[in-house]
Amino acid sequence: MQNQNSDKVIIITGATSGIGLATAKELAGKGAYIIGTGRSAERCAKAEKEIMENCPNGKVCYIRADLSSLTEVKRLAALIRERLASNGINHIDVLINNAGTVSSWYVSTVDGFELQFAVNHLAPFLLTGELLPLLQHSKEGTVIGVSSGSHYRTKMHWKDVLLRKHYNCLLAYKQSKLANVLFATELNRRAGKVGSSIRAYAVDPGLVNTDIGLKGTDGIVRKVWKIRSRSGTPVEQPAHSISFIAAEPAARKTEGVYWKDCTPLKPSRYSQSEDAGTRLWELSERMCGIKFNLNHSEI
Amino acid sequence: MKSLVCITGAAGGLGKAFSVECASRGWDLFLTDLSEEALGKLVTSLTNTYNINVNYHSCDLTDFDARSELFEHMRQKGYNFNFLINVAGLDYEGVFSERSRDQIRTILRLNIEANLEMTNALLRLRDISRTFRIINVASLAAYYPMPVKAMYASSKRFLLDFSRALREELRSQDATVTALCPAGMPTTPECIRAIEVQGFAGRITTRNVGFVAAGTIDRALRGKAVYIPGLLNWMLKQAGGLVPPSLIAHLIGSRWKAAHGKRAAVRPAVQPEAL
Repeated sequence: MQNQNSDKVIIITGATSGIGLATAKELAGKGAYIIGTGRSAERCAKAEKEIMENCPNGKVCYIRADLSSLTEVKRLAALIRERLASNGINHIDVLINNAGTVSSWYVSTVDGFELQFAVNHLAPFLLTGELLPLLQHSKEGTVIGVSSGSHYRTKMHWKDVLLRKHYNCLLAYKQSKLANVLFATELNRRAGKVGSSIRAYAVDPGLVNTDIGLKGTDGIVRKVWKIRSRSGTPVEQPAHSISFIAAEPAARKTEGVYWKDCTPLKPSRYSQSEDAGTRLWELSERMCGIKFNLNHSEI
Repeated sequence: MKSLVCITGAAGGLGKAFSVECASRGWDLFLTDLSEEALGKLVTSLTNTYNINVNYHSCDLTDFDARSELFEHMRQKGYNFNFLINVAGLDYEGVFSERSRDQIRTILRLNIEANLEMTNALLRLRDISRTFRIINVASLAAYYPMPVKAMYASSKRFLLDFSRALREELRSQDATVTALCPAGMPTTPECIRAIEVQGFAGRITTRNVGFVAAGTIDRALRGKAVYIPGLLNWMLKQAGGLVPPSLIAHLIGSRWKAAHGKRAAVRPAVQPEAL
């Protein structure tokens, strides 16, 4: 295990707490080179210290970035490229788009998008697009999104994707998590068409005891989350599912885009619709001002 | 060139919501705000997403010379306007005796002077082939004397009365004026905290900015004089008319002071707060 993963380069967003931090710990323990991101420099430093204490030989560094801003996402990608280049590395093996948020209120980001849509969907989309050349330099470039079982029983609200007129916290969350599965599925579809070796996955963490539901919320949402999260699993469980896909060659041999507890599951029918996938892809490309450049893999 | 929709304070919470709403309707825009950088980011994403033309020019609307320069810029570029949305405004919350001369001047200049001059300038630059729409962002506060927000509430009262009067003046000139009178809106972390410390009352009077922006544009297009988002807020305004102003001032005063005290306990320094 140590050898297999000792030169893997893995990026994890939102890695200063919860599932992200637990995943970073597990993968650092397996010898991968981890670049984590977080919103606060202080929490980044704390997380880095915590991982180093856990595994003294780990290779870990953190970069601060606020993923609600597209400009910041681009800056983050540039910093990651720079950091890797200065270590003589020209590839990324796994990108784990873990950072996510919840907001009781409709909050517009600096780019004028709704906060949950921006952080939970647009940021992973743009970061993946920006880091694609490096992911394509890996033999097995892998993109993992942390989605959720809440992607079932919902659809995209195409007429008002930002839910400006009828915003509801849960509706916006469900839509953004559906977008994660649509994105992973569409990325696989497009990679398949051009013969790229990139593979994308969406992981369902299940109900986990983290503080995501307490971050931008108040009142009822907060109280419900406090009670619900108590019965949730510890963060190590979804972290292990993510690490399994990131580090186990067996995972890649199994078909399936949507995983829970190290097993592929059937995602919602809507999330597999090619129409919805294409539509979201084109809309996201427009919103982010980016064109994905997927190539046939030479490796 | 298509005539434009001009939005002031475009990079703030409500300004962004108006910008996105207008962009989603396919309208070409002219945006202004204090921060060039914030405008640039918003303009890039609006242009990418909605396939419209967006022009912008940063301006400190509290400054007379900066405003002159802005109007000159508009004239030189040959812009014509069919819509003006005056969003820029600010509030220095806290008791009046603690406000500085600088703060008094700034709130008057931004909330009142800038609004009047902007409206005046754009009426001269209007696209005469189309109905001209004006939206002035007042506040539910315009309906009550408000202790602890005395300057802010009075400045909004000014805008409400001005909007109603101007609406009559412009009736024969194919132009309408709509005053928007919202309760608190969760636009910035500051505002969200301010709403939260009011507890239940704050939460039920609050409407999301996207909803407010869309509803306001709809009302402006119908030529409505005033829009108060939310049924409960409208009822509060109606009830306000039945109670003597001195009693209202007393009731609001005790409520705001309590909320302000709670807020000060959470966050010691009082920051200026964009609307």
